[in-house]
Amino acid sequence: MTVIDLLTRVDSICKKYDKYDVDKQREANISGDDAFARFYGDFETQIETALEKAELVTKEKNRAAAVAMNAEIRRTKGRLAEEVPKLQRLAVKKVKGLTTEELAARNDLVLALPARIEAIPDGTPGGPKNTSAWAPSTTSRPDIKFDSDGRFDDDYFQESHESSQFRQEYEMRKIKQEQGLDMISEGLDALKNMASDMNEELDRQVPLMDEIDTKVDRATSDLKNTNVRLKDTVNQLRSSRNFCIDIVLLCIVLGIAAYLYNVLK
Amino acid sequence: MSSDPDKMMSKADKMTKLTLTRWSADWRGATELYEQAANGFRASNKYEKAKVALEKASKGQEVQASPWDAAKHMESAAALAQKLSIWNEVADFYRKASELYTECGRAQPASDALGKAARALEDVKPDDAIQLYTDACEILEEDGRDQMAFDLYRACANVYIKLEKFTDAATFFLRLGVAADKCDATNSQCKAYLSAIIVYLYAHDLKQAEKCYNDCSQIDAFLKSDQSRSASRLLTAYNEGDIEEIKKVASSSTVSNLDHSIIKLARKLPTGDVTAIQMNANDDLDEDDLT
Repeated sequence: MTVIDLLTRVDSICKKYDKYDVDKQREANISGDDAFARFYGDFETQIETALEKAELVTKEKNRAAAVAMNAEIRRTKGRLAEEVPKLQRLAVKKVKGLTTEELAARNDLVLALPARIEAIPDGTPGGPKNTSAWAPSTTSRPDIKFDSDGRFDDDYFQESHESSQFRQEYEMRKIKQEQGLDMISEGLDALKNMASDMNEELDRQVPLMDEIDTKVDRATSDLKNTNVRLKDTVNQLRSSRNFCIDIVLLCIVLGIAAYLYNVLK
Repeated sequence: MSSDPDKMMSKADKMTKLTLTRWSADWRGATELYEQAANGFRASNKYEKAKVALEKASKGQEVQASPWDAAKHMESAAALAQKLSIWNEVADFYRKASELYTECGRAQPASDALGKAARALEDVKPDDAIQLYTDACEILEEDGRDQMAFDLYRACANVYIKLEKFTDAATFFLRLGVAADKCDATNSQCKAYLSAIIVYLYAHDLKQAEKCYNDCSQIDAFLKSDQSRSASRLLTAYNEGDIEEIKKVASSSTVSNLDHSIIKLARKLPTGDVTAIQMNANDDLDEDDLT
């Protein structure tokens, strides 16, 4: 028996008797019993994937793809933010095999989650700073609308660098597109003109073709007639009777000529 | 037969002259000899004599009551006359050929003959050329083949433009429009109307151009076409004195699909009178204000 065979056999046996593995079961059971841990594990993985995606976005060159990925990250963040309260409730629940310190720790973890979720970069710049700056203006907004004009300016300029770049790119692409469309429209105009000229030319040719048709028909019928007549004439000429008569007469003439020649000599 | 064309000519002449010994002219033999003589002359580049031979051959064919061959010979004679630059003979020969073709009942070759004549005389005797073109167009219209007349109308209008007789040129374009209307050739019709409007504008005749545009707009096919849109843009640009707009319309693809001479006129279009027209319009307003 080879090593590989051994290994496969050992693997299959282990898999079969996994349910008797005490340590493993305990681990699984803990996760199985502890909904919080399971949930928390899920959360962690989701946050990890979101962070990975955020990293990809920074490397992404295509703006449209970057925007799409940012939108997805934001959606994930929203979903996670919704589920945080659920997790919090689970955190407070008492589970067997857990110490009070661990329980408190769990609570802290859950409280830290929202901050972690917000920290995931999703394309909106200056998240934490904005929240601190916006906080007072959001509270006062319902009362006075133009209160934060100055602050408006700061934030305004801060945001406009990226957006002005975007706008520039948009304008350039629009101009290029318009140029392309202009060329296409010119080409189409030329094509349309040529097509309608061709149409008129063909219309012009139609009566001529009809005339040609009638003339050729007449010519073919004439030819057929002539052919038939020619055939008859040639047949008449070629009849063997006439041919023999011709030969006989020719011989007679030659004979007479020879006779005369002899007589005159 | 002797290969010397001169001898053939003299022999043929003798065959056609009536003398005491010859009581009826032998036209058939004479015509054959004339044709051969003409070929011989042409081969040896003696065009004058070839032309004379062809003339006589044509007369022979005519007497023999075969107008088609007669006409063909006449046309060849005319082509030779063209090479020799004897212009009045060119016109005469082509006219004769055209009459013979009409005798055969073939309108197309008749008008073709006149068209060839006109083209030959375009540079040298433009008035005659115009007359020939008009006659050719009439022949085709009588026969109901208006579509063939388009090219002739266009050529005739070009000659008028070269002579700077712009109203006549515009009239011809309108006639082209009528012919096109009969055959439902809407594209040619609209192009003809646009050309007429441009010609009027080139002749500084804004009122006439507007009148022309209004008249042509009565016709559905023109109203819905690209050409009428370009015409209206051009006229509004003229009324507002907007030279940029005029130039833009003149270099647009609609105008570039017209005849070369019209394109040239269009490119030259704002012929300096635009501001004057604008001032006239302003003057009218002032008068109204004062009263």
